[in-house]
Amino acid sequence: MDILFQQLFNGLTIGSVYSLVALGLTLVYGILHIPNFAHGALYMMGGYITLTMMQSLGLHYWIAIFISVIVVGLLGVLMERLVFHHLRHAPPIHDKIAAIGMLLFLEAFAHSVWGADYLEMATPHGQVVSVFGITFTFQRIIIIVAAVLVMVALYTFLKKTYMGMTVIAMSQNRDGANLVGINTSKVAMLTFFISGALAAIAASLSSPINLVFPGMGHLVILKAFVIIIIGGMGSIPGAIVGGYILGFTESLGATYISSDYKDLIAFLLLVVILTVKPNGLFAKGGKA
Amino acid sequence: MLKLNNVSVNYGAFTAVKSINIDVSPGEIVVLLGSNGAGKTTTFDAISGLNKPISGEILLNDRNLVGVPPDQIVNLGIIQCAEGRKLFSGMSVEENLIMGGYVHRKKKSHVKRLLDEVYEMFPILQEKRNESAGSLSGGQQQMVAIGRALMGEPKYMLLDEPSMGLAPLIVEQMFEKIKQINESGTSILLAEQNANAALKIADRGYVFENGEIVVDGTAGELLSNEDVRKAYIGA
Repeated sequence: MDILFQQLFNGLTIGSVYSLVALGLTLVYGILHIPNFAHGALYMMGGYITLTMMQSLGLHYWIAIFISVIVVGLLGVLMERLVFHHLRHAPPIHDKIAAIGMLLFLEAFAHSVWGADYLEMATPHGQVVSVFGITFTFQRIIIIVAAVLVMVALYTFLKKTYMGMTVIAMSQNRDGANLVGINTSKVAMLTFFISGALAAIAASLSSPINLVFPGMGHLVILKAFVIIIIGGMGSIPGAIVGGYILGFTESLGATYISSDYKDLIAFLLLVVILTVKPNGLFAKGGKA
Repeated sequence: MLKLNNVSVNYGAFTAVKSINIDVSPGEIVVLLGSNGAGKTTTFDAISGLNKPISGEILLNDRNLVGVPPDQIVNLGIIQCAEGRKLFSGMSVEENLIMGGYVHRKKKSHVKRLLDEVYEMFPILQEKRNESAGSLSGGQQQMVAIGRALMGEPKYMLLDEPSMGLAPLIVEQMFEKIKQINESGTSILLAEQNANAALKIADRGYVFENGEIVVDGTAGELLSNEDVRKAYIGA
């Protein structure tokens, strides 16, 4: 029984990280209608910038995260301005090629600046806690709580403020958004900022229990794609629920089936869910 | 005064609107008649800034709007209620209306007052305020679309085929509402295929054929014009 709880707790931890990454991906998908393959590179940059701030400038973990969020958010805006904005009238395949180009560029950039080594990120919250027979580092609690707080804040922003509602409005009907006087360029920039910020938060939270290296975004982004496909492309609840489903499945699968197949389970889940619900769990109804 | 001078607009590679002249004076209802593909929607998109004309000028009180981005055109008081409605179908009715008041977003109480006015005009929308816009019937969606446009307090409202796909009884109610909106001070440019209903409430009209204006005149003149009657009224 203890193992079950331990694994459910672990699932909650990784699920939180997956959900944050998938949320950024799904928001941008809603606006651009293309999958942003470079999102994993933003995640990777988030990890490195937090680490650099801590090691080179000696900043506290949370201050480093704050700076990383701003920098990666702006990197997202830069991506939109320099690349996607110019491709808005081009066929969708151009966006996809450009996204892969940026992924390769950012990874090469990380290689040349930080090298190919696996780096450790220290956390001020490394103490080991034991409750109800479950043992974990305090960092894991931080991940879950921070992720939930970020999701609640994001939800409130998107649902309750005019600025946030423009993001939803534009993803549902771009022309409609124009016709009520929304500046769609500004909304696109805002969305990329949020997306980059979420990736930086996810990477900074999970790096202390994982490692920082140029390819750290690969598996995460592949899984984030699985999540938003499972949840329904562009769906916000879908990204959250999908993230946790994947987190639980992986950690339970690793214990009860085999930890060697942990990463395979994500894709198996994708096959099963798409067989039953081809449009994903929270697919949007017909477009108006 | 909203005035189009020799405006030509492309739809893709094809010139869908050829050198047209239209004017709408404050307080008027002006109708654009014509079959599908005659160029009415392309004209509207040009006025709203969604599709830039290849030549000509679109003047609002002598200011040229060609090249002004769509969100600023809304701020100037020209608001389109588009064909196919272009609602935010996953958002609730109330959220759609609130987004319609986006230009007044800094004045919360003003948005609230406009919302009450829209609910007064379309009581059914208040009943369905929390339902998603996409789940409503066609007529109710049209009300949301008109309500959303009204929330921006348009000086000029562009209404593109508000009767499309609606039952005859609902169409009649819709035109009554349009008349009511006009009487409260909004000038209206209305694109319609339902010439009979439209000309009853309109002051003047233009007839489109293949991107050109072939006839124009007062509503009375158009109603009694043989060619117009044959082509659009069927009597």
